[in-house]
Amino acid sequence: MQVEPIPQEVQEKIEVVESADLVVGVLAELNPESLVILCDALRTLSGSPRIAVLRDDHAVDPAVNIARTNSETAEKCAATFLVPWPLLRPDTPDTPMLSMSAAYQSVFAASEKLGARACCVIASKLETLAPDWVRQLAQPLLEDDVDLVVPRYARHKFEGLLNSSIIAPLMRCLYGRRIHNPLGPDLGVSRRLFEKMIGNDRNARMVGEHPIASLAPTAVCENLQICEVCVGARIYPPTDWMNISSLLSQILSPIFVDMERNAACWQRMRSSLPVPAICDPVRVSEDAGTVDISRMVESFRLGNRDLEEIWGLVLPPSTLVELRKLSRLSLEQFRMPDELWVRIVFDFALAHRLRTINRDHLLKSMTPLYLAWVASYAHDLETGGATALEQRLERLSLAYESGKPYLVSRWRWPDRFNP
Amino acid sequence: MWSQVKQELAQSTARFLTRFIGLLPGIAALIVALLASILLAWILATIVRRLLASMHFDQRLARWGFPSLAEWSPLQSPTLLVAQGIATLVVVAGILIGVAAVAPEWTSLLVQSVFAYVPNVVGAVLVLVFGSIVARFLSRSVLIGAVNLNLRYARLLSVGVRWLVVVLAVAMALEHLRIAPGIVDLAFGILFGGIVFAMALAVGLGSKDLVTKSLERDAQKGSDEHIDEPFRHV
Repeated sequence: MQVEPIPQEVQEKIEVVESADLVVGVLAELNPESLVILCDALRTLSGSPRIAVLRDDHAVDPAVNIARTNSETAEKCAATFLVPWPLLRPDTPDTPMLSMSAAYQSVFAASEKLGARACCVIASKLETLAPDWVRQLAQPLLEDDVDLVVPRYARHKFEGLLNSSIIAPLMRCLYGRRIHNPLGPDLGVSRRLFEKMIGNDRNARMVGEHPIASLAPTAVCENLQICEVCVGARIYPPTDWMNISSLLSQILSPIFVDMERNAACWQRMRSSLPVPAICDPVRVSEDAGTVDISRMVESFRLGNRDLEEIWGLVLPPSTLVELRKLSRLSLEQFRMPDELWVRIVFDFALAHRLRTINRDHLLKSMTPLYLAWVASYAHDLETGGATALEQRLERLSLAYESGKPYLVSRWRWPDRFNP
Repeated sequence: MWSQVKQELAQSTARFLTRFIGLLPGIAALIVALLASILLAWILATIVRRLLASMHFDQRLARWGFPSLAEWSPLQSPTLLVAQGIATLVVVAGILIGVAAVAPEWTSLLVQSVFAYVPNVVGAVLVLVFGSIVARFLSRSVLIGAVNLNLRYARLLSVGVRWLVVVLAVAMALEHLRIAPGIVDLAFGILFGGIVFAMALAVGLGSKDLVTKSLERDAQKGSDEHIDEPFRHV
């Protein structure tokens, strides 16, 4: 990965800092008080590391500036430097994955410049602000020689659905690590991992565009240390139903690209192992209530009617038959079996690799299928609590793992199973 | 008088025979050129067919978005069509060479006009190929986008977009070929305008209720902001 050049206007700003042991990029919109609490929490890290906190240039509060922070901490503890930083570049398109990747690249650039041992990115707002979780994200990187620290958010039933349905179980199945939130977005990265990602034998441009998707797979394939820290419940942005297909395309595309790049690694993995967790998982109370799945089921039925020609280029006839049967079920009976969903994800990943059709079209055409899974999942958990949620997701993960031989066969001999 | 008639007949016959004997070598050359070109065409067609079969040309073409070629000629695969096309070209070239042996000036004029027309043919073929690719891409984009927006007439929109692009490409190709330009212009205008008008009517009339409900929903959104769906995807 070619590290992004640092803009000239911020060169002067970081020259004041000179060097840092830890760089923390803050993407979440934190008010000045929260930022001060965050800095205070970071200063409690043992060893008095030098910390540079990068904050989005547009959100700088003049009341909290470098001089003031430095003067308060000049005598003791760790020196924490607050640096205004254009984390979101002006030309970054307004898309979550790309803008997040650009922000990560900015943090990596700063870390490289400052010679940091590790860096963290704070991108989430939490329902309950617990400043300690930021310190927990950084501590293993500096003290325990961990290379990748991933968050474990408290799960709500109907939040993080893309992660629950595809990302986490797919990563678990492929790379053999039970990581609950492999794409963060709040992550801690060691310098060793960062340098691994910019190794000579990688396609620099591809890795550079989506570092988030590559972090966990790279850490696993390079036998680096990973751990999870338990944080509170994350505040998710509201659903924009008009743009779900774009979201799916942006998030799944780098994952499938990474899958192609790491094929030799994941085909060797046979089973999954848990990742060390630093603290106890946080449980949240759930409100039992009915959810309306009719719109999602209707989307699926419409997709089954009009997109079958496209799905036929990707999915085998047996899967198409099952989807046709599923579309005829009533709302009360609507259930998509996990095995069916797993095969669909694998077939789309393979079609993405083979470029059966335009990749953007491919992933956007997956939207009705994803909504069918969400509807089925919502139906299963309508009245369930936290325990039912964990069991449901574990069942799905096991379905992914047991379906892996199917993926490996199709991956190695795509022509043999060509639909 | 009778001897004069006989003399004229003899002279005419002699001229005819002289002319015919003069043409014989040319005709023989034409036959030889034809036979040779047929043999060469057969050899080239076999080589091309085997080469394309080894490259899985039919499957690649389908993947690139040209399965409709098989629909145009169901009994013949694209591989066979290409091979036969090349064979035809070789045979035509052989005929031209043979005609040059009979009457060089005819050939010269024919070849000049043919070669002057070739860029138009090439341009027309490129326009058709590119138009086909664009039509397929756009129709698929519209189909997927419309389905994801829950539009029930997604397929109609997709077909409409495809036909719009195809009609445009065909009209441009015919213009390149200079085939009845006046008629093509008029026919294109009527057809294109008709398709757009039909789609506008279908969308406008068919989605009248949808637009009304959408506007009502937008107006109501401000007062119902507290009602939120529970699903969060990212």
